[in-house]
Amino acid sequence: MSASAARSAQGLGDHRKGLAAGRLLRDLKILLPFAVLVAVWWAIYLSVDFSPQVLVSPLAVWHAFAHLVSHGVMAEYANTSLRMIGLAALLSLLVGVPMGFAVGINRYAAHALEGFLRFLQGISGIAWLPLAIIWFGFTHTTTLVIVIYTLIVPIVFNTMIGVRAIPEAYTLALRSLGASRLRLVKDVYLPGALPSIVVGLRLGMGYGWRALIAAEMLVRKGGLGDLIFGARTFGQIDRIITGMIVIGCLYVVVDRLIIQPIENLTIARWGVLRQ
Amino acid sequence: MAERDTPSEAKIVVSAFRHFFETADGPVQATDHVDLTIRAGEFVTLVGPSGCGKTTLLKALAGFIRPSEGNILYEGRPVRGPGRERGVVFQELAILPWRTVRRNIGHGLEIARVPRAERERTVARLIELTGLTGFEERYPHELSGGMRQRVAVARTWAANPDVILMDEPFAAVDAMTRLTLQEELVRLCAATAKTVFFITHSVDEAVFLGDRVLVMTRRPGRIKAVINVPGRAAGRDWESFKVDAAMQAIAEQVLRLVRQERGAAATPTAAALAAGTRA
Amino acid sequence: MSMAKTSNRSSARRALDQVAWRLLPLVPFALVLAAWIAYWTIMRPPPATLPAVPDVVAVLWELAAKGELATHVAASLWRLLLGVLLGATSGVILGFIVGLNRSVSEFISPLVVFFNAISGIVWLPLVIGWLGIGTALAVFLIWNTVFFIVFQNTVLGVQLVPQIYEQGVQALGGGRWETIRSVILPGALPYILTGLRSGLGFGWRALIAAELVGATTGLGQMIFGATEYHRSDIIIGGCLIIGVIAIAMDRWLLLPIEQRTIERWGLVFDARKEE
Repeated sequence: MSASAARSAQGLGDHRKGLAAGRLLRDLKILLPFAVLVAVWWAIYLSVDFSPQVLVSPLAVWHAFAHLVSHGVMAEYANTSLRMIGLAALLSLLVGVPMGFAVGINRYAAHALEGFLRFLQGISGIAWLPLAIIWFGFTHTTTLVIVIYTLIVPIVFNTMIGVRAIPEAYTLALRSLGASRLRLVKDVYLPGALPSIVVGLRLGMGYGWRALIAAEMLVRKGGLGDLIFGARTFGQIDRIITGMIVIGCLYVVVDRLIIQPIENLTIARWGVLRQ
Repeated sequence: MAERDTPSEAKIVVSAFRHFFETADGPVQATDHVDLTIRAGEFVTLVGPSGCGKTTLLKALAGFIRPSEGNILYEGRPVRGPGRERGVVFQELAILPWRTVRRNIGHGLEIARVPRAERERTVARLIELTGLTGFEERYPHELSGGMRQRVAVARTWAANPDVILMDEPFAAVDAMTRLTLQEELVRLCAATAKTVFFITHSVDEAVFLGDRVLVMTRRPGRIKAVINVPGRAAGRDWESFKVDAAMQAIAEQVLRLVRQERGAAATPTAAALAAGTRA
Repeated sequence: MSMAKTSNRSSARRALDQVAWRLLPLVPFALVLAAWIAYWTIMRPPPATLPAVPDVVAVLWELAAKGELATHVAASLWRLLLGVLLGATSGVILGFIVGLNRSVSEFISPLVVFFNAISGIVWLPLVIGWLGIGTALAVFLIWNTVFFIVFQNTVLGVQLVPQIYEQGVQALGGGRWETIRSVILPGALPYILTGLRSGLGFGWRALIAAELVGATTGLGQMIFGATEYHRSDIIIGGCLIIGVIAIAMDRWLLLPIEQRTIERWGLVFDARKEE
């Protein structure tokens, strides 16, 4: 009895080790295509005589990256961008979600606002940059305003849709049990609309991150957009490419490791409540 | 015994067929040794409990999976993949949602490059035979489950295959429509003389439709009995079937054979079942 | 008799309701307009900060009359058209090729995710060195944006076509080519169209951003050039045009395509159509 228990315990340990090894292998597999890409890049670089204004080698990019990191420059610029997007996301959620609720609950308000929100979304935060520059100058405020605008529209819109998609039966059932408005919000509207809100957040972040980079390129007061645009002025292709890679990686990290798990959590728990 | 005057050729011969699936927990046996022969003009039904491997067998006949062991011969040649000569009617919706009823039914003829005039004639005839008149220009999502299966049957029939393999085609349809569809199938076969292999887990359906009823054991399945059912060529309907003593006796016999197979042992794991349906 | 009276009244009310329902989407626009006029009348801000409504109308009219507006709109739309056509065709074709081959699609998937994350404006500093400013730059950025979105969606669409449709056609004697033509192509269409719609939205934003810094004509350039002269009337006018075009493209281009194909085949539930 105990012998077989010991054997099965060891088997479980081996099994767990196997699982961990499998996960490691899977993570490494993700890096493989990038390794191939870098190899192809290097091959192209070596075979064609590029002027350093057009393309640099992966090694040069690595050196630029190391240089920027060691001097704390990368951290500073990245920090600026991340703080900006984080702040904008927070404010957009704090303002946008309640707004979306308020509008979504009323059928007429929702119908009235739908076209307007689409219109605003079509104008895109980036298009408002010139106006923001006139109003707030070349400052962080400008960037913040633009990014908040870009984020808040999809959040309000999707919150609205999320609330509208909740079957009336749920609210009626709770109302007949004597639930107050607040309780309805807490127990029905919030969880019911949550998947859609997260979708809106995800979409907003996609737009917002790009709007942020674009704004930083124009406002030139720090941030990764400033970094790569400034590097252009000095023809520092290695810095530009470094910046681009960092921008990409940061976005993937934020999207995949922060937002997507939230999305999966809400959808997995509450089922698919969106169209 | 057989209503045929002359001995018919063997269309499909299955010998020593056995199949395994690879799953995360190792190979799972889907079927045990299966030997069977389907002759031209026959309507062979296969009945067995859920998970006994009958769908696996049908997929092998259709050519969607390669048997782990054994041979499947069509007119003497090994089956290497799906083909026009072995038409299939699936249980789930397999007709294309982006084609109208008419274009779905005509699809096989389109593939075979049948000239348009002839194609339209065949399609029109089948629409009439399957009771789809008036629905030619509808899309599948506008039709009921029963209508969709009619389209599926018509599509396969229109392509004029030698053998028609039917995988519980009426299982997902409501009970009343199911009876109607079964009667329609009998009439269709009478009008068009096809060779059919039909699997089901309904004993009544198997006996009602078939010339020969094969009974399969539970997983891993093999053929454990073959029951002949006379009188199909004369045509059937459910009312007379229900009062025909001979038919009911046969049905009872088959039911008994099938019920022997229901039991606790050898129920497949969920993973194995999933693997089975995916392959 | 009283029944007839109430039914008359209720049918009149219903007609009124319908009219009101149709007019409702205009309400937010009217409110914004009213607020704008009110603010302007009360606060009398300098024209650089907030122009009067008639000023915006006047400047738009003037630009239209001079043909300048048409030039800018044409330049922008032309770039958009080129970029979207290139991006969509390359995205669909490559998406099919990759989607049909599972090992390839698994391999390059991380690459696509990454490049999607930096698509669009992030490439500007790098590419401006290759292509200079102007149409080529804008087209590249749009192509970049549209391609990755359409590609991803196409791959997804191809891979999600239920296998049973393929099997059905195979059992009718259809070979590989027939399967691709009659099953996979129409089957993947909903996803492809979603990708196109997304791509168009992102592409339009990338275009405006690109024109802000890297063009001599186009709507983006028009509004950014106006910043220097503090012509907020041009900026606001330009933004409105941008929004209108965005809505028009979606409404009159994509929606009809979607309706004629996907909705006709019953493949998509449009939660919007609840009125």
